[in-house]
Amino acid sequence: MNSAEACGMQFGIFTVGDVTADPTAGTTPTEAERIQATITIARKAEEVGLDVFATGEHHNPPFVPSSPTTLLGYIAGQTERLLLSTATTLITTNDPVKIAEDFSVLQHVSGGRADVMLGRGNTGPVYPWFGQDIRQAVPLTVEHYGLLRRLWREDVVDWEGKLRSSLQGFTLAPRPLDDVPPFVWHAAIRTPDVAELAAHYGDGFFANHIFWPASHTQSMVELYRRRFAHYGHGTPEQAIVGLGGQVFIRQNSQDAVKEFRPYFDNAPVYGHGPSLEDFTALTPLTVGSPAQVIEKTLGFREYAGDYQRQLFLVDHAGLPLTTVLEQLDILGEEVVPVLRKEFAVGRPAEVPPAPTHQSLLDAHRAGEGPLSHDDHSEAR
Amino acid sequence: MDQSDAANTVKLTVIAGGLREPSSTRLLADRLVTAVAAELERLGDHAETAVVELRPLGHPIMDAMLTGFTRDELESAFASVADADGVIAVTPAFNASFSGLFKSFFDVLPEHTLSDMPVLIGATGGTERHSLVLEHALRPMLTYLHAIVSPRAVYAATSDFGLESGSALAERIVAAAADFSRLLHACGPRARRDVIDEDLASMQELLGGTEQGS
Repeated sequence: MNSAEACGMQFGIFTVGDVTADPTAGTTPTEAERIQATITIARKAEEVGLDVFATGEHHNPPFVPSSPTTLLGYIAGQTERLLLSTATTLITTNDPVKIAEDFSVLQHVSGGRADVMLGRGNTGPVYPWFGQDIRQAVPLTVEHYGLLRRLWREDVVDWEGKLRSSLQGFTLAPRPLDDVPPFVWHAAIRTPDVAELAAHYGDGFFANHIFWPASHTQSMVELYRRRFAHYGHGTPEQAIVGLGGQVFIRQNSQDAVKEFRPYFDNAPVYGHGPSLEDFTALTPLTVGSPAQVIEKTLGFREYAGDYQRQLFLVDHAGLPLTTVLEQLDILGEEVVPVLRKEFAVGRPAEVPPAPTHQSLLDAHRAGEGPLSHDDHSEAR
Repeated sequence: MDQSDAANTVKLTVIAGGLREPSSTRLLADRLVTAVAAELERLGDHAETAVVELRPLGHPIMDAMLTGFTRDELESAFASVADADGVIAVTPAFNASFSGLFKSFFDVLPEHTLSDMPVLIGATGGTERHSLVLEHALRPMLTYLHAIVSPRAVYAATSDFGLESGSALAERIVAAAADFSRLLHACGPRARRDVIDEDLASMQELLGGTEQGS
């Protein structure tokens, strides 16, 4: 994480884990191939000097990552410095006790290279598969997360809520590594109340960013920063912000457009909708040369402020593994080094660097930071 | 409600679902607006009108439906509807219902935009045999959206634009406009509902159950 610390930002990739036919070849990977490809992609991310790999969590075909910490645990064993995260872990349908356990173990397995991004999940049918009800999504989010925080912070937890059976004298095992809980990001595509939740606890806020015009992301990030300060966690500029992004890069921008267009036109989420040109103009999607990707990405700062984490989506819509690996080469060699350098320029000293286990541990030992702060108010 | 002597400005937004230029649907919408503005003047109010034509929004509406994101021009249309004190919605009758484009606009319009919104509905069609499209399609949809639908709706068939029955259409327009204007006048200025603030308030309430830091 040395390179990340230099500019205070982390760069990485996030995957949805979709199994999608390659529209140019007509071939569809098997689930086994997709999972192995995901592991190869994560290892490559570390090799090319990226900081973060994050996986989605989905419980229905055509997606494969239903058990993120299993995948991340294996990747942890295959890598040395890559930070492992999720995009997102479902705080509604996962039991908070299990989330606490899984990520505690992942912290220990990875030597403190794990954090977690929580999301609500908007696939209605998934809820009953885990005994939940999507109509309770917001209360579940708040209650589950409140419990999760206590499990990571208190040795013995007595807890009673409305949506989960109560706990008496429960102790999480293993305790979080060094007694420092994994850093938590809260992710939103468009719901502003997620920003409120993140601000309330002084956690990170990750704007998915990639399906929406910049104005939506701007207003949510502004709200989060304002409320972060309101809740007394620091100035708005000190709030911890992450953004999604989506790129397809070739040395020559026309080549990038030509090669990516069939994947874009048939992509599960936005295919058969707006044109590639419209989508590029309105959203963070950049299809072009390394210079174009750099320019557009640096522009995010203009409406989101100086931020901490940038994740790119590079492996969806049926793109073949070899192509994805080429994308990572270009990101690692030509794009991210420039972004690190340029984002460092003019970055105010008060803007905190992206949180890591080490930075949280240092803060913990110094008796500051979220830990002591929350223990005081929540152990009541 | 403002009881001052100065005329109250009533913001009317017309949603016109006609597909052709010139459009008989737009023609009916314009006549309804003119009649409503005249009625409002009589009641001491002043109408300020904006028009949302759906035809140029066809592609953005479909993009919003397929991908969830709204382009600026569609966002402005949503804002124009949300900021109105009253809406006049007119569609051509297609296959015993409103046009697909007209329905699609309401399908992507943010939830709650039309809550408590006074709405006057109108429709056009080739023959008068389709007139109940207003009662069987438009009114239930708008009721579902919690709009306050004015009791008298106006249907115009091609023959209504002819000479013989033209005066009958004019009478129906005036009568509907009078009803709608009284409704608008009684409802007064409408506060735009801020769903984001409502969501945040409910989240703050939920979080209020847990003590915050500091």
